Amino acid sequence: MSEIQTLDLQTKRNARASTRAASSRLGGGFVYGLILPVAAALLYEAAFRAGLVQARLLPPPSRIAETLWKLAASGELLTHVIATLLRVGLGFGLGAVVGVLLGALTGSSSLARRLLDPTLQALRAIPSLAWVPLFILWLGIFEPSKIALIAVGCFFPVYLGVMGAIANVDRKIVEVGRAFRLSRLMLARRILLPAILPDTIVALRSGLGLGFMFVVAAEIMGASEGLGYLLVDGQQLGKPDQILAAILCFAILGKAADWLILVATRPLLSWQDSFARSG
Amino acid sequence: MLSLAHLDKVYGNGAHALDDVSLDVEAGEIVALVGGSGCGKTTLLRLVSGLEAPTHGTVSVDGEAIAAPHPAVGIVFQEPRLLPWLTVAQNIGFGLDHLPASERRDLVEEALLKVGLAGYGPRWPRELSGGQAQRVSIVRALVTKPKVLLMDEPFSALDALTRATLQDHLLALWEASQPTLLLVTHDVEEAAALADRAVVMQPRPGRIFADIAVPLPRPRDRLSPGFVEAKRAILGALDGSLSQIPGATGGKPAEMSAGSWW
Ligand SMILES: Nc1ncnc2c1ncn2[C@@H]1O[C@H](COP(=O)(O)OP(=O)(O)OP(=O)(O)O)[C@@H](O)[C@H]1O
Ligand SMILES: [Mg+2]
Repeated sequence: MSEIQTLDLQTKRNARASTRAASSRLGGGFVYGLILPVAAALLYEAAFRAGLVQARLLPPPSRIAETLWKLAASGELLTHVIATLLRVGLGFGLGAVVGVLLGALTGSSSLARRLLDPTLQALRAIPSLAWVPLFILWLGIFEPSKIALIAVGCFFPVYLGVMGAIANVDRKIVEVGRAFRLSRLMLARRILLPAILPDTIVALRSGLGLGFMFVVAAEIMGASEGLGYLLVDGQQLGKPDQILAAILCFAILGKAADWLILVATRPLLSWQDSFARSG
Repeated sequence: MLSLAHLDKVYGNGAHALDDVSLDVEAGEIVALVGGSGCGKTTLLRLVSGLEAPTHGTVSVDGEAIAAPHPAVGIVFQEPRLLPWLTVAQNIGFGLDHLPASERRDLVEEALLKVGLAGYGPRWPRELSGGQAQRVSIVRALVTKPKVLLMDEPFSALDALTRATLQDHLLALWEASQPTLLLVTHDVEEAAALADRAVVMQPRPGRIFADIAVPLPRPRDRLSPGFVEAKRAILGALDGSLSQIPGATGGKPAEMSAGSWW
């Protein structure tokens, strides 16, 4: 009860601090980040209009925008985006949950580490795509095999990140918890959990990044919808504008998903004393 | 009150850190542990705190054996060791989890006031200076009202002026609840300024070399003859403890070892 109150107080305080940080970052960072791609697009568009470039293989931004708009207007784009996001969401969710659990287990128990880690490391050495034929045999050509592939791709960075984070928790800080006679559970909750949070978030972000990588692989290998399908379809029908439209969607979705993790977790990390913060 | 009986500590790597150390400390007494590097001062504190178990011997507080961290014993480490994800106020309240929030808040406010950090409660540890952080870590250990407070060179990382100020702060804090205080220090002046007794240790293996009473009233005038005499006595014992190391520094002249004791 009392603990919840302090926590509540803390999150409020943190939320205030982080909205400040977020708004300054939105104001500054966002605009800076857009300068390069927008300038490049305008330049290419101008070159195209001036007749300086051949547009057959690299359509100008206006054509890509037009294709995108058509896809969006027909509702087709939404279907593809949802299909892709669902696959990434399910695969990433599965891989991340298992990764966090196994990482926490091997990180906190040396017996578990000695038992499990060698096997997991060996499995990690296998390129994830090598599993595809097996997954298709086992799970069929539809959603389950795709989600399994994405989950495997997301699992390893999360697992490694969480295990490493626990192993790297400062002994001196853990000792503070011991000196205050925390039980094992409380030690995990009040010391280990907050201590590993920053590294865990980094691990989740790289896991999600791989999730988007593997969803493309899964969709290219056979799907009737999804952004990856748009890529293949664009290739087969010779529509580079559709390919580029899909790529653009991937860029936006990937960036947005990463940004979402960042924004959602920033209130939890406002205590950090790091180089990035001071800069 | 605090009683160490025949403590032996041999670390896993074979290092013989303590050899048959016995020490009795009265309730409310301030004892300074002084000694050259590696003579087992930190080890001794860790045994008393229950963070480490002795190879032989026992530690007891008021007759109760200490085998694991105990509510009667608080410890201040050499570094502040504040939890970076908790605010200053939450750090101070870390050991008060069992109290209702309002009571905890009052205790924390009072503690902040006492160490001159009123209003610093909502800050993050990263926003504190070294001296401020160490003050927070001292009150974090003190708010739980331990009967015994252990401090491992708490001011060694600070400049001389800050150190003297914090020593006064510490005495004022100690005054309030008068816990038994076992303080490791490298600083002979610090020992003379704070302690009722200075226990000088000798290395390889760690033993007690001398036990020097400092019978001066508080507050102490650091320029008074009695204070200077106490410092000289402790320094003399320290020199003796080092010149008697078998082999190592045995042949060196006394003034050399005086300079190299730390
Ligand atoms: N965890 C450990 N494992 C093995 N040996 C240790 C460990 N901690 C300390 N020692 C050894 O025990 C001896 C005493 O160390 P200790 O840290 O208690 O000395 P100290 O008096 O606190 O020294 P200093 O004044 O430099 O802090 C040293 O020889 C040291 O090498
Ligand atoms: Mg030490």
